[in-house]
Amino acid sequence: MDRKIGVFVCHCGINIASTVDVNTLVNYAKTLDGVVVSKDYKYMCSDVGATLIKDAIKKHKLDGVVIACCSPRMHEHTFRGVVEAGGINAFNLEIANVREQCSWAHEDKTRATEKAKALVRGAVAKAKLLESLETSKIDVNPDALVIGGGIAGIQSALDLAEEGHKVYLVEQRPTIGGRMAQLDKTFPTLDCSGCILTPKMMEVANHPNIELLTYAEVTGIEGSIGNYTVTVNKKARYVDMDKCTGCGDCVEACRLKGRITSEFDEGMGKRSAIYLSFPQAVPLKCTIDKDHCLMLTRGKCGTGPLCVDACEAGAIDFKQKDKAVELNVGAIVVTTGYDIMDPSTLHEYGYARSNDVITTMQMERLINSSGPTGGEIVRPSTGEKPKSITYVLCVGSRDETACAWCCRIGCMSALKQVYLLKEKCGDDVEINVCYTDIRSFGKGYEEFYRKIRGMNTNFFRGRPSEVRNAGVHLTIDIFDTITNKLFEISTDLVVLVPALIPRTNADELARTLRVSTSADGFFLEAHPKLRPMDTFTGGIFIAGCCQGPKDIQDSVAQASGAAARAATILSKKELEAEPMVSFVEEELCSGCSSCIAVCAYNAIDLVKREDGKSHAKVNEALCMGCGACVGSCPSGAMQQKGFKDKQLIPMVDETISS
Amino acid sequence: MMKKYALYPGCVMSTEQYAYELSLRAVLPKLDIELVGLNGFSCCGEPLKSVNQMLTLALSARNLAIAEKEKLDVFAPCPVCHLAFSECKKIVDSDPAMNEKVNAFLKDEELHYMGTAEVVTTLDLLHDIVGVETITKLVKKPLKEMKVATHYGCHLIRPTEIGRVDDAENPQKMETILKAIGAEPMDYPEKLDCCGGLLTANHPESALTKTGQKLQKVQEQNFDAFIDICPWCHRQYDSKQKKAGETVAAKLEVPVLYLTQLLGLSFGIPKDKLGLDLNLSPVNKLAMVGEG
Repeated sequence: MDRKIGVFVCHCGINIASTVDVNTLVNYAKTLDGVVVSKDYKYMCSDVGATLIKDAIKKHKLDGVVIACCSPRMHEHTFRGVVEAGGINAFNLEIANVREQCSWAHEDKTRATEKAKALVRGAVAKAKLLESLETSKIDVNPDALVIGGGIAGIQSALDLAEEGHKVYLVEQRPTIGGRMAQLDKTFPTLDCSGCILTPKMMEVANHPNIELLTYAEVTGIEGSIGNYTVTVNKKARYVDMDKCTGCGDCVEACRLKGRITSEFDEGMGKRSAIYLSFPQAVPLKCTIDKDHCLMLTRGKCGTGPLCVDACEAGAIDFKQKDKAVELNVGAIVVTTGYDIMDPSTLHEYGYARSNDVITTMQMERLINSSGPTGGEIVRPSTGEKPKSITYVLCVGSRDETACAWCCRIGCMSALKQVYLLKEKCGDDVEINVCYTDIRSFGKGYEEFYRKIRGMNTNFFRGRPSEVRNAGVHLTIDIFDTITNKLFEISTDLVVLVPALIPRTNADELARTLRVSTSADGFFLEAHPKLRPMDTFTGGIFIAGCCQGPKDIQDSVAQASGAAARAATILSKKELEAEPMVSFVEEELCSGCSSCIAVCAYNAIDLVKREDGKSHAKVNEALCMGCGACVGSCPSGAMQQKGFKDKQLIPMVDETISS
Repeated sequence: MMKKYALYPGCVMSTEQYAYELSLRAVLPKLDIELVGLNGFSCCGEPLKSVNQMLTLALSARNLAIAEKEKLDVFAPCPVCHLAFSECKKIVDSDPAMNEKVNAFLKDEELHYMGTAEVVTTLDLLHDIVGVETITKLVKKPLKEMKVATHYGCHLIRPTEIGRVDDAENPQKMETILKAIGAEPMDYPEKLDCCGGLLTANHPESALTKTGQKLQKVQEQNFDAFIDICPWCHRQYDSKQKKAGETVAAKLEVPVLYLTQLLGLSFGIPKDKLGLDLNLSPVNKLAMVGEG
């Protein structure tokens, strides 16, 4: 018996209707073979639209439904529910994408309507051949992995742990704390950064549900939502974590003490080859820098390594090796943060030419009382107090030749530092701020900005054309667009506010995790408005600056959000699996294994038959329905449910026939 | 192997900056570059850009079409002309509608712009095409202990989007060439400052102030010579040096040479062949000019 198909065309307000003639499309659909009903509605995804579809299924005893609307990415899930509620199997639904792939892409209404007709024609052809599919259940591992131990990762880990999930927190540096640990105070409330961060770090360290893996990196991932197997490489610290008490005697004893540039101090201070990043590090365990330690680089350290002599606990172990561990988790939260753009690529700002041109993060370390200068503000070139400090905002940010985006923290972090400098140095120091716009958008930010404007500070609206060395001083040429005048500022210390950029290894991690990145290189959210913490990969969530620049309050909020999103998976015992997986027509399969080679999910095995021949077999629990195996199969033995050749080929034929 | 270029002389070099042309004609043959003169060239169009952009494009395309007809690439020693041609290529080569429009202008003269000719100027010809290795081999009199300041001029390096010869903020190709011939190019804070030349028509005083200020700084920093590569800039720094000094109330005595003149000296070319007697700045202060 011929299957009865209903076609439902959505106007999507004017999104579709302004470019596609909906009336013509509805009437055209009625003429297609098998179509017994064709209707349109302003918003098919609304309750009224859904009722319209449900009623039509019942009234006309439909076997299949075609909805001409937006991308299946938006509403396929919604409409499957509607079709099911109408009384037929949810998978007897075909979506003709006449928005993203038609109305939004074209301007000519006549031709767009013709294209929409072709898309509907093809969809109807496929709908006539669809089969009912059943979803299966997969068990969910309730444990979670959080990658990145900055404030966002800390928040996500604590939230998930509090909900009762076991959480693995992986951090690539020797300590958690991230960028926030480097800051002196936070805007706009001027909370001491360490004072509000370290209790949270301690909480992580002491939480029975959290297992901390510091100085470790995610190197591989297998499986899918609900059941991920993650490989983590724990880098050798050359210090026995169980024995080390964090006393720091080895740090003092090290032969290279004060000789190695400190990453934590952004190059403003020096450390030893064995080090603790900062006094409140968690875990409070020393780490040997294998790129500098004399024992590890040359195999010899004077008459013998002084750290070994100094360590009463006997924790130093030069024989330690990297160690790979495997973690099984149901969901992953990625909170890997950001890097700071290297301003030396922008030659005009003089970062490469003068030691007295520094970044905001370097200034943060100077301001910090536990920083390399004990909180003294000095010019790196002379060690003297500067009489004039000039801030340059938007260095590389909002610049089409470098980073097009706004860093979202630059204005406020500079204003905060102006306040702290005024507090420290009073009006002895002249402060200039060169800005593009002051973006004080958050709660309490504008009030903070007004307070700073009321202080004795010079604001210039414009971007300096150049920062140049002028004898013992620096000069800055800037055209102030408020007064329409060109100024030459003579100053002692220039503080650049550089753009925030994706981590240098963000691309690599994205490939490992199989998540997408946006054009700027930050991890891409599944929907900017409605799924801001989800990725397109099920069970993997993102929070904090790895998704895009943001301040601490937004990072923490997003981190809690991502934890809650992960918990929606982890709290279930089992999940419904997509039924659109691949399967093998065994009698056609020659066992050539080309499908196994292309499968990214290790979902296909080769099995031996009784007659001695082999054929491929799909593990439906692992198959993600990507279809790569189907495309690679030379004999057509590999097929995908819902996308079989015998469903797709008639669809293609109909679409291109006219 | 000899590489041939159609020489597009431009207006400044061919009407007053003869030293530039003389030095090019003396140096380039040694680097296996042959210059071919063509009839019919007009203004490059750049000076008209603020008045009529379409005319600028049409004029540039017209000149390029003349060279294309002879199947020659174009060598425009003046960076201003080079900018006009580069911009023309960038726009017309990528926009079929503009291509049609431009060619409609050329039809009467039976010219057709196709976009086949490459356009080079002195700096990329020396640095990218000839290369420092070849230049180094030709050096007979290395410029020992000569501390030189470079001046690129704006048209040579800006705007980046059009595709210019060197980095806009940190150009280094002149330095690389100068090091190859034994000189000591030194960075100085005013390196990228404007010569003032384009202000001459409307603000002559401001123009000379810019020129004078930069030369004053160069003099203060004890450079032996100031090296430029653009006829507009050279007019300011060399031809008008005395006037520029009067404008900023300073006695300026900075030897200013075209890069090609200095190159010629290092190759052992006699100074009269390089047009050095046409320089109005005190080039005789340089030992190798004074002696020879």
